[in-house]
Amino acid sequence: MALSTLTWVSMLVSLLLLPGVAAAVLVRSLRTEERKLALLREQDDIDSYSPRAFSDLRGWIRANPDDPYAPIARRRYNECVRSLRAIDEPHYDWSDEQIARLELVDE
Amino acid sequence: MSDSEARTAREEWGSRFGFLMAMLGAMVGAGNIWRMPFTTGENGGGAFLVAYILLLYLIAVPGLMAETMIGRYTNHGVIGAFRTVLGSKRAQGLGLVVLIVNVALMSYYAPIIGWALYYAGHSVLMTFTQPGFQPQAFWEGFINNPTLVVGMHTVTMAGLAGVLVFGIRRGIERVVKWMIPLLVVALVAVSIRGITLPGGMEGVAFVFTPDWGYLTRGSTWVAALSQALFSTGLGWGIALTYGSYLSRYDDVPLGGGLFTAIGNTSIGLLAVFATFPVVFAFGLEPSAGSNLLFISMAQVFPELPGGSLWAIVFFVSFFFATFTSGLGITEVAVTTVSEETRLSRTGAVLASCGAIWVFGLPSAYSSAFLGQMDFMFGSFGLPLATLSIIALVAWKFGPERARVLDLNRNAGIYVGAWWNSVVKYVIPVVMVFILGYGVYSSIGTANQRLMLLGVAFMAGLVVVSTLVMSVVGDEPPSGSAAVPGGDD
Repeated sequence: MALSTLTWVSMLVSLLLLPGVAAAVLVRSLRTEERKLALLREQDDIDSYSPRAFSDLRGWIRANPDDPYAPIARRRYNECVRSLRAIDEPHYDWSDEQIARLELVDE
Repeated sequence: MSDSEARTAREEWGSRFGFLMAMLGAMVGAGNIWRMPFTTGENGGGAFLVAYILLLYLIAVPGLMAETMIGRYTNHGVIGAFRTVLGSKRAQGLGLVVLIVNVALMSYYAPIIGWALYYAGHSVLMTFTQPGFQPQAFWEGFINNPTLVVGMHTVTMAGLAGVLVFGIRRGIERVVKWMIPLLVVALVAVSIRGITLPGGMEGVAFVFTPDWGYLTRGSTWVAALSQALFSTGLGWGIALTYGSYLSRYDDVPLGGGLFTAIGNTSIGLLAVFATFPVVFAFGLEPSAGSNLLFISMAQVFPELPGGSLWAIVFFVSFFFATFTSGLGITEVAVTTVSEETRLSRTGAVLASCGAIWVFGLPSAYSSAFLGQMDFMFGSFGLPLATLSIIALVAWKFGPERARVLDLNRNAGIYVGAWWNSVVKYVIPVVMVFILGYGVYSSIGTANQRLMLLGVAFMAGLVVVSTLVMSVVGDEPPSGSAAVPGGDD
């Protein structure tokens, strides 16, 4: 039985959006872990936030200084800053200029 | 207590692949193999897939991110997670609700794993290709033999205990790392065999030809919602429990959210290719549900060239799908029992598996009882458990706090602020809608009495669990009670 064009399109789009995406995510996730492990072996530490996620964290700490979770947020913020200063190669795409501008916050 | 202090005492996944396969294995179960193909075909084929994929990305992916994240953040099982975030003894009752729903679900899922094991065993013995084999009689002979079904239930629980006793890394991870890849390979192989059969492409056409009119029907969207939420395992406590064994360097949104939801559905799609071409090629009834597997499919293999081999591939892979789900569901109880009591891991495994075995005896003995349990806990228990977990993240911890503090920490993808409103508003509204729809659609049907019983039971469960935990619950960590709700 010959399938109609619409059926072929429907099937191929489903295959692309489900197994296609799942396979791509699996490969990306495993590669990322491989790179994290390699960096941890070399440097004993890695940066824990991407520049964008870090910017969100900084904004949240400024907006919620008295939040019960603020001490944890500040600790994680400073931990990331210290890691970025200590390591040679960040996991996320931090530039040297961005790292140089980072400051610790009072815990 | 610092993060590192909390984590040194707790086991962690040995590898990323192990965690991903465990999540996938836990979420891929019997429903993916026998429900997804039929639901797709009955609701407009390609049109249903459009609705389903949309809801999957919109609701299931963010929901699983939230559940996995709260597990990693708290480093606890379901009761401990509620205690850490909610900060009151009474509120831990909601964690107990999730645990009880989970044990109840497993009590009737374990006999189904037993059925799969029985058929897998007979496929290896080549029973299905013996001359004169009668699938209907074989099924009835099995399901109406209490010694056999209770025996298979017992073997299943013993098998699960035998894996779980070795823990996360040496137990679950070691098993799922080969079972899930083999399941995928087996489904691909059966799919290729199916679509190359004369008439097999008619099954593909039935499933994938879109009938856009279905997108205007409410029933299509309800079916897509139910499939997107429940087949992905959201709110069962599994993602929370497995997430609690992640290390601080692990990612949550890419693996725990995106891969788990999409990977699980991909296996459902493979099941479509594995079953429907065969169903159409042999003129079987596509809406046969569990009978499709145990009667219709068993009837097909003697007629296929190399049928013995295909029967082994099909039924053993089906057993793998159910067994790895059983590991995930039971681990929720094992982790919680080992944390909340003085029992060792071995003691917690024996206590959890023993309790599930006892509670599962009525379901093993009577398929009708199993169906009633499925209706009550699948229709009302699961939405209640999902609501509890999502409310914990969205209404107490707060989605913005969750996203900024933990979800995006060491993440493989950046999750933007859009996630907050999905978790805080969309998922709870959808869950309440599904609960309400379940009640509404049962009125005036044979299930009305069971529905009323289910609703009353769930309401009673919340009250009793809250009271019990206010008496026997552990004191919450200092300071946690002062945390305001949401992002206030």
